[in-house]
Amino acid sequence: MAEVHLDCLGEACPVPLIKTQNKLNQLNVGDILIVEIDHSCAMKNVPEWARKEGYSVEIEEIEEGHWYIYIEKNK
Amino acid sequence: MEQPQASLKSRVHTVTAKPSVKKKNQLGYGIALLAAIILFGVFLSNIKAPLAIRWMLGIALGFVLQRSRFCFTAATRDPFLTGSTSLLRAVLIAIMIATVGFAAIQYNAFSAGKPVPGNISPVGIHTIIGGIIFGIGAVIAGGCASGTLMRVGEAYIMNMIALVFFIAGSALGAYHFGWWKANVIKNAPSIFLPNVLGWPLAFFGQLVLLFALYWLALWWDYRKAE
Repeated sequence: MAEVHLDCLGEACPVPLIKTQNKLNQLNVGDILIVEIDHSCAMKNVPEWARKEGYSVEIEEIEEGHWYIYIEKNK
Repeated sequence: MEQPQASLKSRVHTVTAKPSVKKKNQLGYGIALLAAIILFGVFLSNIKAPLAIRWMLGIALGFVLQRSRFCFTAATRDPFLTGSTSLLRAVLIAIMIATVGFAAIQYNAFSAGKPVPGNISPVGIHTIIGGIIFGIGAVIAGGCASGTLMRVGEAYIMNMIALVFFIAGSALGAYHFGWWKANVIKNAPSIFLPNVLGWPLAFFGQLVLLFALYWLALWWDYRKAE
């Protein structure tokens, strides 16, 4: 049950999503990935993709324009 | 649906960077901005009514773009990158609505014997080359035209830099467009579909084609889920 932090601060639009996809592939079932973003588009496409894959997703805005996306690799 | 256990983030232990500062309440700024928008609209309407209409339409469009994350770049990219076609379908619906509206305006002008309004531009290999150059630029700048404008409003510094060069590039393009028009584009035909196919076939054909694309996009989206 590892918790992995992925830093995507300052990355332009599709990059956080691609990094998230690659990182999730390396993780084991049960692990939680925390993606740190400051791009509002990643706020939409990362959770949308992850939910479609069937993972549990939660978003937290830790300060203005700065979010954590929690993704649990549950399968 | 199974009952969700404790929320994901409460099960996470490694997050220590909790916000030290309370989030600012931005309600005051919002009300001030709304008042400023309305006052500037009133000011514009005193000069010329259409200016105020454009001002309000621009604000409304920007708001919708920002809230919906409507993005033309993502619309054409996501089907290949993530298999999601929600934005592509939104764009297709937008084009369908625009088709009906533009056809009404253009047919109205055509029936009255006036020149047909609209940007009916020459099409050719230069369209494809221009599209590829634009696509490369959009990737480097982190947004297409509407996305760049919207993100300047969201205060992304990268897009502010992009906007400066976006304006510089557009001005440069407009400046030497005459040369390209005289030397490169001059033999390219301007195709207006109703002139080629007739009005009914052009109009309904375009709608049928768009519906077919919509259906294809929907199939592409759900093909994995089945």
